[in-house]
Amino acid sequence: MAEAIMGFTISSPHIHSSSLQPTKLDVTHMTSSTRSLRQCSSSELFSGCKQLEIGKKSKRVPLSRTNAFPDWPLMAVLVEHIEGQRDLITHKSIVHLSDDNIKSVYTAYIMFTCWGCLFFGSMKDPYYDSEQYRKDGGDGTGHWIYEKQEDIEESARSELWREELIEEIEQKVGGLRELEEAVKKEEQLVK
Amino acid sequence: MATTSLLPNSLSPFLTNTTSFPSTHFPKFSFLNPLDHPHCPKRPNLHTTHAKKKNPWLDPFDDGEDPDMEYGSLFVDGKQDEDDRPPENPDNPYGFLKFPMGYSVEIASLALKVRGDVRRCCCVVSGGVYENLLFFPVVQLLKDRYPGVLVDIVASARGKQAYELNKNVRWADVYDPDEHFPEPAEYTDMVGLLKGRYYDMVLSTKLAGIGHAAFLFMTTARDRVSYIYPNVNAAGAGLFLSETFTPDSTNLSEGGYNMYHQMVDWLARPSKTVPRQPVPPLKVSISKKLKQVVESKYKNAGVNKGKYIVIHGLESDSKASMQSKGDTDSLLPIQVWAAIAGGLREFRPIFVIPHEKERENVEEVVGDDASIVFITTPGQLAALINDSAGVITTNTAAIQLANARDKPCIALFGSEEKGKLFVPNTEQKNCVIVSSKTRKLKDIDIEAVKNAIPIFNMSLALV
Repeated sequence: MAEAIMGFTISSPHIHSSSLQPTKLDVTHMTSSTRSLRQCSSSELFSGCKQLEIGKKSKRVPLSRTNAFPDWPLMAVLVEHIEGQRDLITHKSIVHLSDDNIKSVYTAYIMFTCWGCLFFGSMKDPYYDSEQYRKDGGDGTGHWIYEKQEDIEESARSELWREELIEEIEQKVGGLRELEEAVKKEEQLVK
Repeated sequence: MATTSLLPNSLSPFLTNTTSFPSTHFPKFSFLNPLDHPHCPKRPNLHTTHAKKKNPWLDPFDDGEDPDMEYGSLFVDGKQDEDDRPPENPDNPYGFLKFPMGYSVEIASLALKVRGDVRRCCCVVSGGVYENLLFFPVVQLLKDRYPGVLVDIVASARGKQAYELNKNVRWADVYDPDEHFPEPAEYTDMVGLLKGRYYDMVLSTKLAGIGHAAFLFMTTARDRVSYIYPNVNAAGAGLFLSETFTPDSTNLSEGGYNMYHQMVDWLARPSKTVPRQPVPPLKVSISKKLKQVVESKYKNAGVNKGKYIVIHGLESDSKASMQSKGDTDSLLPIQVWAAIAGGLREFRPIFVIPHEKERENVEEVVGDDASIVFITTPGQLAALINDSAGVITTNTAAIQLANARDKPCIALFGSEEKGKLFVPNTEQKNCVIVSSKTRKLKDIDIEAVKNAIPIFNMSLALV
């Protein structure tokens, strides 16, 4: 988080702590327009932050990075005086995130959304809860693949065989009938 | 020791029940009286009509059939029984033992093996529709020679379609035997499938080298019968095969109608008391369903039953043109067909296209009112021909189908020899062969074809 804030650090040209704490360059400089406040933010984000003694007469060390908003306050402290009571101090701080971190936050949000859509979307679904989806698959044979084509063709062929047999029998019967009729006609002729 | 005491008890009801079997089955058990049948030659089936050189690798002690051998009472004369299943026995302690047809293990005696009974036969047929169609007589011959045999076919995807027309076939499986490098999964699958069906005989019309012979060997059939290459490629194939045929050329289909004559000769060979089996003619049977489908098809094309002439043999790069592998020059362009069809007066020509893309060409040349029917399978073509008045075709399966259904047919051939090869005994078949003079089908004399057209009217007058 310290780095996250770093990109948007607004370093006042007058106040710079790098000379005082060269090893703490990475650490966020707490800058404020109100110099009276020499205190880190109390927010958790800045928990790693040490209270910095800001040197009053620090050298101007040009930073390698440019500050986009040099004079924007990051913190605001409102002190309201109410008579007869203690002062009411409202302490506001603004956190700036880097591009990468914004991206990470959005990524996390999108992932959560997608996961949520899938998870909660599948919690209750008439199709997935239906017999259509939940029943045992297949055609009841318990086989993994169904090679039915050969069986269908085989039964068709045996059907064909039966058809031919019936035709043959019919022809024979027809022939017999013709013979019988011819015999009858002859008998009639003889009579 | 407990088992020995249990054994007679468990077996006794079965043994008493054996008397209920017909007694004719009983003496077939050769192990009951082994002295009665002292010597069985291992392969009496190999007694072929051609005096063929035996392969000494197969059995070094096989000196052929013993002329002095006496067949005892175990040897059953004649052909095999149609279905030799014993009658079903409800008193059997093992329940209702009912083996499927062709698998009755308990009565397959040694004598039946000697006789060479074939209960299940597998035919590996190489080639396309035409070659498979010409294999029909062989299947019929098998059925006649070995009553009750179950014939299965292994053929390419195109060739398998022909068996829609064959009532004698049980299973027809797709496996392209012509493929040089089959996919290993397919290969092993087919080997396992064939082995699991326990064939007695495997016939193959693919010219076998050592590879195909090994494939047939792995089916563990008793008789592995195959054509082999007529050249050095056959080296080693004989080791795995029990009977081999050497064709005249590397292309079996060039033999025409009788392309399988060597195999037919061997299958129809006379045995001890069975005379030589006559070779049946090519016959196709068409199912009612097929007829209905095709009827709706040609009704849509605008023709009526018995009033049209089928024109088949349109030039196309489609695989469904049903040519023979032995006659590659057997398709005519639509322009020639249009000229021929112009000579038809009483009948309406119906053009069979093997691919939908040809429809435009036909409409362009013949006219938009042309009757066109899209047919790719031999079954539908046969049904179409069956309802037609006749057929004009080049050398495609349509010729054989027309002859099989006794329809008048004008067959256009590139040369006269081809015509004689593919349509023998023309007069009986009511078929006119018109052949090109230049040995190229494209130069065919259209006037000669038109002159032959009255054949359709003659047949109409006869009917």
